[in-house]
Amino acid sequence: MQSKASYLIGKTVELILTLLVVSLLVFAAFSVIPGDTARVMLGPDATESQVELLRAELGLDKPLAARYLSWLLGLLTFNPGKSYAYNVSVSGLIAQRLPVTIGMSIIAMIMVILISYPLAVLSSRKPGRLGDQICSVIGHVLFAIPPYVASLLLILLTSSVFSLLTVGNYVSPSEDFFEYIGCLLLPSFAVALPKIAMSFKFLRSSIIEQKSADYVRTAKSHGMSDLKILIRHVLPNSNVSSITIISIILSDILGGSLIVEQVFNLPGLGRLLLSAISRRDFPLLSGIVFYLALVTVLLYFISDIAASFADPRIRLK
Amino acid sequence: MNKYILKSVTVLSAAGLIFTVLAGCGKKPADENNYAVVGITQEPGIFDPHTVVAAGDEEIIYNIYEGLYKFDYEGNLNPCLATDVEISDDASVYTFTIRKGVKFHDGSDLDPIDVVYSLKRAAGLIDGQNGVALVSELDSVKDVEELSDGKVKVTLEEGNSEVMSYFTTGIIPEGYDNCQAAPVGTGPFKFDSYNPGQSVILVKNDKYWQKGLPYLDKVTFKVCADMDAGLTELSSGSIDIFPYLTSDRAAQLDTSRYNILSNGSNMVQVFALNNKVEPLNDVRVRKAINYAINRKDIISVTMDGNGVELVTAMSPAMGSYYDPSLNGTYDQDISKAKELMAEAGYENGFDITCTVTSSYLIHVNTAVELASELKAIGINMQIQQVDWATWLDTVYTGRDYETTVIALTSTYAPYDVLGRYQTSDGGNFINYSNSEVDELMAKIPLTTDVAERTELYHQVLAILTEDACSAYIQDPTTITAVSTRLEGYHVYPMYVQDMSTVKLVTN
Repeated sequence: MQSKASYLIGKTVELILTLLVVSLLVFAAFSVIPGDTARVMLGPDATESQVELLRAELGLDKPLAARYLSWLLGLLTFNPGKSYAYNVSVSGLIAQRLPVTIGMSIIAMIMVILISYPLAVLSSRKPGRLGDQICSVIGHVLFAIPPYVASLLLILLTSSVFSLLTVGNYVSPSEDFFEYIGCLLLPSFAVALPKIAMSFKFLRSSIIEQKSADYVRTAKSHGMSDLKILIRHVLPNSNVSSITIISIILSDILGGSLIVEQVFNLPGLGRLLLSAISRRDFPLLSGIVFYLALVTVLLYFISDIAASFADPRIRLK
Repeated sequence: MNKYILKSVTVLSAAGLIFTVLAGCGKKPADENNYAVVGITQEPGIFDPHTVVAAGDEEIIYNIYEGLYKFDYEGNLNPCLATDVEISDDASVYTFTIRKGVKFHDGSDLDPIDVVYSLKRAAGLIDGQNGVALVSELDSVKDVEELSDGKVKVTLEEGNSEVMSYFTTGIIPEGYDNCQAAPVGTGPFKFDSYNPGQSVILVKNDKYWQKGLPYLDKVTFKVCADMDAGLTELSSGSIDIFPYLTSDRAAQLDTSRYNILSNGSNMVQVFALNNKVEPLNDVRVRKAINYAINRKDIISVTMDGNGVELVTAMSPAMGSYYDPSLNGTYDQDISKAKELMAEAGYENGFDITCTVTSSYLIHVNTAVELASELKAIGINMQIQQVDWATWLDTVYTGRDYETTVIALTSTYAPYDVLGRYQTSDGGNFINYSNSEVDELMAKIPLTTDVAERTELYHQVLAILTEDACSAYIQDPTTITAVSTRLEGYHVYPMYVQDMSTVKLVTN
């Protein structure tokens, strides 16, 4: 049997290796695609000598492999370098965009839990009933709608049909916290929709499965109320196995919010990422991708560890 | 029972909270605020008036810096920081009288020495610049000096009557080298802040030399992800001015809330044919393509008819430099096109690829329409979409393509428009080469007589048209939506957002 410590060490090594592979992939992709940062910044009307001047100024005349190595070394000292296009530090740029992306992810996750859990509990009370069937059908439909389509539909409904709220008028949390939350509600909902359906489906079948387990019958014969059985036994049992699902959903939400930001014109990480790609800004792009990979891998890492602590059998596998 | 009441109270209060927040995110009162927000779809990047080349950056800094001369929205070159210029007979010496009473944003006075420094910096004449001109068109400047009477004398290496339009380059304080981080100019607006990926904020220059201008206290250039994101913001009121709309999008706007303004763009949209690639190296094939296409149809498909048909490399908007006798040279004539194809040995047509940038919808749409029209003479055109950076690298710089669709931007300098057709020019991405054109183009800057120069331009245009160096499509109209709360905005036929004349509608 593995000890907790060696399990942790193994997972940490895995984490570092994954991040290294991710950064190598970014580097490889970047060395293949055509495009020159200096030329993109200056446009077609610039002369060759002007482009050369800027290339030298940015250090673009060095080979990409050398730039990658210095970037990697910079990471070890927690300094991901300066963006070519913006001429400011990459970490500063990312930090500036985080409130949007993180805020959206958290709100979307809360929405997923707040909506899917009660619905799953209600629906699983009597599976096959009309309400359950309606929920399931809607769930299937929502599951099939990609977040960007949902975004467009939501914008159409709220801003054009009902003119409820302004779209795209981003307010930073330091200006007005409630307005900040308000502006993120709709985009978060667009991201959350398919995940609500996913979480609902998963939880519903998990609860139904648990309900037919022997311990539920035992608890019932002891005279426990249905609600108590649900809260004390059924939910915790379906929850333990859903830690992994939650982490998958969280990383999906992070990915989905990158696209939805673009549709809602929110200045988040997604837009920064796109601009980094279209302007061939290598330090910025690798910085963002590395950061996103780090968050995703960390999420899985934490959920693996959490699940292994909640259920020691996982460590044995 | 109690449980239900508790439940409904919780639900209601939660709903209440959500609605309060939603309402909080609603419209802010805007009309009493003396500001304007301009939507831009290109990320700004460079604020140094001498290193700036990208059109999107030029639009913004037009409000911060001013040159000795300045273009207006009708394309006239007017005195600005200079009040007058004397040009020597051979066009090699330009002597400017500098305007008095002008102040920089940092409070210092504009002196001739500032002009000398700025022009030297632009021309690469400052020590340590190694002679590389920052503004390449001013490369031919040999010396800039202040005369005893306070005038500034610019000497060129050789006569160049075409250099005048580059004295629009921004004037900055003497010795100043921090324009990228903290721009200082003499323009109607001062640089306030740049928030990467979000906005550039300019504030009013209270000490602007043109009395009464500008009207607005603050101008924000807000970055929008794309045209549709910008339109959403426009309709929600968080943007007041949105340029470069396509006509179908403009038609969707509520005319009680926006004025739709338009002007010629002085751009040349071209179906560029790589003259070095088979079978496009055959002039008969290029002519056949020119005869096969219907420019009017393309303009109606891509711009809803809002464009001017082009037959050659210059827009009629260039006035006398353009030769109207060329009009109609390549009116659609399918049978003639087929004849030419047969003559060239391609009676069965051929396959070809059009590499077009997906960043500009108008060019993609044009390519699609072209592909369907070229079928009539048996040319089977595949469309390959690439992103802007790839296009610049492979098509424009690398010249590794067969055909493409792009709009060539230009100022009002005709030499800029036609310079790229010289064999060795860096912008000659169609690989056109004709020694006659090279000779004529070399002769133009040395010709001081305007009528003579105009005649030379006409000759160049005639050769380019006869050689069918590419197929020219249209000068697309620039369409800008402006909120009805503002007035005084002008659409420039170049990349300029002039905010100095914009003011609130008073009623």
